[in-house]
Formats: sequence, C-alpha cells, structure tokens
Amino acid sequence: MAGLDLERMSVLVVEDSPFIRSLLINSLKILGVGKVVTKDHGGEAIEFIKLVHSDPMKAGLMTIDIIMSNWDMSPVDGMMLLRWVRRHKDSPDRYKPFVMITAYSEPNRVTEARDMGVTEFLTKPFTINAIAEKLTSIILHPRQFVHTKDYFGPDRRRQNLPFDGENRRKLTEESDEVEVIRV
Amino acid sequence: MSKKPVRVRYYRFKNRLKEKAAGIGSDSKEIQAIDPEALARAEAALEQMAEDYPDWVKSIIDKLAAEHRRAVDTPHERRPIFERIRRIAHDMKGQGGTFGYPLITDFASSLHDFAGPNVGMTDNHVEIIKAHIDSMRVVINERIEGDGGQNGQMLKKGLQQAIEKYTRMK
Repeated sequence: MAGLDLERMSVLVVEDSPFIRSLLINSLKILGVGKVVTKDHGGEAIEFIKLVHSDPMKAGLMTIDIIMSNWDMSPVDGMMLLRWVRRHKDSPDRYKPFVMITAYSEPNRVTEARDMGVTEFLTKPFTINAIAEKLTSIILHPRQFVHTKDYFGPDRRRQNLPFDGENRRKLTEESDEVEVIRV
Repeated sequence: MSKKPVRVRYYRFKNRLKEKAAGIGSDSKEIQAIDPEALARAEAALEQMAEDYPDWVKSIIDKLAAEHRRAVDTPHERRPIFERIRRIAHDMKGQGGTFGYPLITDFASSLHDFAGPNVGMTDNHVEIIKAHIDSMRVVINERIEGDGGQNGQMLKKGLQQAIEKYTRMK
C-alpha cells in the first residue's frame, strides 16, 4: 500500500493560540505536508486567501489546498471565515476543503457549522491520528457539493443508509429540477 | 411540456488533491492512507512537544494571575477582565487532556463557566476565580498527571469547597 505523499500540499492554519499553532504546524509537517502557512485569526486569513489569488508571487504560494481553522478567535472567528469562503463574492474558491477545529462538540454547534458547509471537524484535544484521518478523508473521499436555496456546501449525506417510513426524497438525478455539473 | 426550473445542483469534481498526493510516478488508484511510519513519527513528535506543555501552562497561569490582580485592583474593569479570563480558560481546556493533564482541562472548564457573562462579578466571584488559578498552579507545579489519584481528588474537593463557600457568601 502506497502512502499519501503530502509534499505538494499546502495547508492554511488559522489559530490564535501560539502553542496550539506550533503544535499543528509540527504535526502537519511531520505528516509530510509540504507547505504550512499560519494566520492568527479569520480576518488575516481572508486577506491572505485574497492575496494568494491575486498575487501568488507576493503571497509565496500558488494555491491553498486545505484550510484548517480554529472556531473561537477574535475579531473574526472560524464560522465567519467559513461563511466568507463558502458565500462571499470575493472568495476565490468556494469549494475549498475546510476543517473546523473546536473544543465545542455540542450538537447544535456541530449542526451550525455543518449547515454553513464545513468539510470536517477536528475536536480538541486532537491526536495525530485524528488529523491524519481528516486529511485522508478530504484527499481520498471528497464529497460532491450541493447547491440549493438553503444550502451550499459538501453533501451532508455521507452515506446512503436505509431508513424506515415513506420515501420523501422526491428528487433524483434524473429529475428536471436536478442538475449535475462535472467540474 | 416545459422543464421545471432547477432547484438542486450537484457539483462533482475531478479529484485533483488525490492526483497531487499520489507522488511522482505512482498510480493514484493505489494510494490509500498516510504512511504508518510517518504517523508514528508524528505521534512521537507530539509527545516531545507535550514535554513543553507544563512550561507553557505555567506562563498562561501567570497571565491568569495578572488578570485576577487587575480584577481586585480595578473592580469597574471586571467585565472585560472576566471576558479575557474566559478566553484563556477556553484555550487551556482544549489541550490539557492531550498532554496528560486532564485536571487542567477540568479546572479550566469550570473556570470558563465561572467567568461567564451571566454568573456575576462580585468580590466572591473574584475569589472563586482565584481558587481555580491556585488549583491549576498546584497541578502544574506538582506535575499531577492523569486523574492525579488521591492528590487529584483532594484538589478537586478543595476547589469544590472553595466554590461552595464563596457561593454561599453571595
């Protein structure tokens, strides 16, 4: 079995705590990630994402492959950053994989981020295995993006599980109202 | 009959990240996971960093103590001070467990609650904050790892008693 080679990957880490930041940088580097850039909060991250898009030479980076962001930061927190990436007109890539790092695991907070289009969660305290798992899932099993009037983000249905009761999933890929776009 | 308007769009991408991660000359169909050896190395490095954790927490506890002194000296500033304490506590509670100090996580979690916006900001609350800071300092100075056995239980009990005492005095 060949291992993932992350040498050509670049990850943007957005984290305000210096200790956790250095922890993440080191973990990613040792896992083989070629380029790790860090920003202190969401506002700096947004500026950097724009710079990479408009002037990659100045940014020193051609692309950002994955964003990993803490949730609780100020002034611009992880949710605001996620909203910007997914919905703002200036966002250069609304499909960017986004990992939310959080000590919050209350169901309503998880739902809130999921409905904003988060790709993966990394719960603090995190382990190397958890980081590796999220990266592997993003790289090997990316989900299609869904765009409806209420939602834009990775498909929230990760598995097609059997269910009881009436089938209320009216639309199928063959319906007129469904369009499949291959990019 | 005219077509109904589109209500759902699925975007399916070519997996460029996987191509990028396949390495030069290898077949992207074969790659399955991160190399277990790299994982083991990363785990070891995290352990190495964990050894610096007590020093880091010490510096954070000093910060908390400075905020506590400010809360005593400038009672009218307590709202922003409590807010800062709450943020620091939030940060601490996320990592204690990772580095073998679940008691730090417990105490930081409790401190986070007691510094919350709806708990109050009287002198007794400031004492409760101080009791948390003192308890965390003992954990780090004495390097009380894991649940700390008997010492850990005593510390927890001591903090609980302090909380009850000052809560009653309200």
